[in-house]
Amino acid sequence: METVLRRFWQKRVPRSLLLVLLSAVTIAPTVQAATGISLDRGQVFALVLLGMTTLSLSIYLFVVIVQPERF
Amino acid sequence: MDTKSRSSRQAKAKAASQGLYQRAMKESVLKLDPRVQIRNPVMFLVWIGTIVTALLTINPSLFGPPPDQNPLLFNGLVTLILLFTLLFANFAEAVAEGRGKAQADSLRATQSDSLARKLAQDGTIQEISSTALRKGDVIKVIAGDVIPVDGEVTQGVASVDESAITGESAPVLKQPGTDIASSVTGGTRILSDELTIRVTSDPGKGFIDRMIALVEGAERSKTPNEIALTVLLAVLTQVFLIVIATLSPIANYVNSPVSITVLVSLLVALIPTTIGGLLSAIGIAGMDRVAQFNVIATSGRAVEACGDINTLVLDKTGTITLGNRLAEAFIPVNGYSVKDIAQVALDSSIFDETPEGKSIVSLAERLGVVVTIDRSASDGIDFSARTRMSGTDLPDGTHVRKGAVDAVKGFVRSRGGSIPAELDAEYEHISGLGGTPLAVCQNNDIYGIIYLKDIIKPGIKERFDQLRRMGIRTIMLTGDNRITASVIAREAGVDDFIAEATPEDKIEVIRAEQAKGKLVAMTGDGTNDAPALAQANVGVAMNSGTQAAKEAANMVDLDSDPTKLIDIVTIGKQLLITRGALTTFSIANDIAKYFAIIPAIFAGAGIGKLNVMGLASTQSAVLSALIYNALIIPALIPLALKGVKFRPLTANQLLGRNILIYGLGGVIAPFIAIKALDIIVAAVGLA
Repeated sequence: METVLRRFWQKRVPRSLLLVLLSAVTIAPTVQAATGISLDRGQVFALVLLGMTTLSLSIYLFVVIVQPERF
Repeated sequence: MDTKSRSSRQAKAKAASQGLYQRAMKESVLKLDPRVQIRNPVMFLVWIGTIVTALLTINPSLFGPPPDQNPLLFNGLVTLILLFTLLFANFAEAVAEGRGKAQADSLRATQSDSLARKLAQDGTIQEISSTALRKGDVIKVIAGDVIPVDGEVTQGVASVDESAITGESAPVLKQPGTDIASSVTGGTRILSDELTIRVTSDPGKGFIDRMIALVEGAERSKTPNEIALTVLLAVLTQVFLIVIATLSPIANYVNSPVSITVLVSLLVALIPTTIGGLLSAIGIAGMDRVAQFNVIATSGRAVEACGDINTLVLDKTGTITLGNRLAEAFIPVNGYSVKDIAQVALDSSIFDETPEGKSIVSLAERLGVVVTIDRSASDGIDFSARTRMSGTDLPDGTHVRKGAVDAVKGFVRSRGGSIPAELDAEYEHISGLGGTPLAVCQNNDIYGIIYLKDIIKPGIKERFDQLRRMGIRTIMLTGDNRITASVIAREAGVDDFIAEATPEDKIEVIRAEQAKGKLVAMTGDGTNDAPALAQANVGVAMNSGTQAAKEAANMVDLDSDPTKLIDIVTIGKQLLITRGALTTFSIANDIAKYFAIIPAIFAGAGIGKLNVMGLASTQSAVLSALIYNALIIPALIPLALKGVKFRPLTANQLLGRNILIYGLGGVIAPFIAIKALDIIVAAVGLA
């Protein structure tokens, strides 16, 4: 079990996905509180994920601007 | 390169490209892999956008109640258009790569694991696999064999068929110690006799291996211009991403709520997808165009550097004038007759295997002079750039020499001889005609001058005029005297010349130009050219040249035609112009897309008057702009692959012209196309 967890943690993509999902879970209640009852829980969670995707894309573009030779 | 060999190569290329488009279609689907897409920031955003709209097609209420009418159809259509945008961009890249791969396959066909005859130190022959050969091994090849690896001929004279790599069917003579004809390439076939070859490369590191890796794009790294353009595109994309991400609250504030699908569509329409999708195809196609010219570049950087070249350093012989200078006349001095000088000229040339030497022998024989000396007991003295003389040492101790007039004068003076007064007059007369005067002497006695006639290549003056219009300075290097050099330079139309040049002068002139901030290109083939080829920003080595020259250069011309340097510079310029033109077009397109989508989205906010195209609805405006955005990529693939038509104009004239065509065209064309698409979309009832 420990080995599986360690190997999982060493892989960048699943680790990032897990962190994004956990962050979404953390942020979602705040967003829901701001939007009121117009959005259900699933929609809020999707919206938070979309926001985090946009933020990740923005970070990715900054990396491209700073280190263009990597792409 | 003659027309026949070029057309046969084009036929081969056509055959190799059969099935290219089917393969490219398959590749364009495989390239949807996010690990591939992430390398292209603009198209990666389109990829993410496609995923988001696909999710919205499955569940239109994913992010809240959809404000659009019939969201399922609209989201589905947007997803489909975005997917095609990605596929078209992938297709452009796959077609460009496929052309290189077809060329690599034909090169790979020349490579085969065969048995090589390795010569052991004790002289015995051992048959081993060609893959077991290592640098420094000595092998023997006989008529009919395929030469297994790259090497230098150490013994033997043989004709070699190099058509597998050059396309040229005429066999090439290979012999040791000739500086130019001694290197052989693996994959070529020996047609006659036998050769002993010293292996100069390890397996997998030979010339053809490097060519394959290059045309397949295995070693492709981004060029400085591509990197700069990637940064520009990433900055534009970042700006538009921030604008679109913050648009929703503003839209809600003005009571015009916008769906996520419309926001994604607006983002994709505004980011420079046209150039983002075609950028790598333009670079690959540039390399391919150079390869089609039978020139192998070591990197895309070298091809691109050609486009920025300010100075061309060219050898006179073979580039500006036809390689073979022929003896036209013998001009006697010092009271000797024509037959006397013809006899000494013949004696000095019997070991001279150059075209000039052979033409001297031929002219002397036409005058009825015959060889009287004992060839086997005489020693041939080869021409060298330092002595600038060649000749023969006869068995009785007599030295006969021919060469540059001042070099022969020095030779005669060093032996206590005197210089006849009429020598200088004849020297100036021949030089004034643009010919090359060679003085002939026997020991300390000057017999006269051989008039070597130089023929300027047809059309070369027009090529130099073109280069001048492009702002490129040409410098001619020649071992000839100043008067001859100036006449040839004037007739050929070069900007500057260096007469009586030594190999060191080449590197000096390159350094001097580079010190002024210029980028310099040059050609060379000999070992003594290697330092200058390495120093030049673009060094083109001849395939017939030595291994040292080929390794120092960043391009190798398989046809060994020095004039091709001018064509390579043209291709480099074309590559840069194409990239610039399509970037201008792509960015100019944004104006029409703004006018298509923004007024439609914010119609409720009272900016309907900005809908200058009179588009039917928000959805039809979005769909029309996206369809245009997708279709423009395949429409521009031929231009990206072929390159913008090159015109020999200055940088400012080119900029003005391209802004007019691609800037203004990029503004007007989408207005017309989007309006036409909107009419169709509305008529079909898609929105």
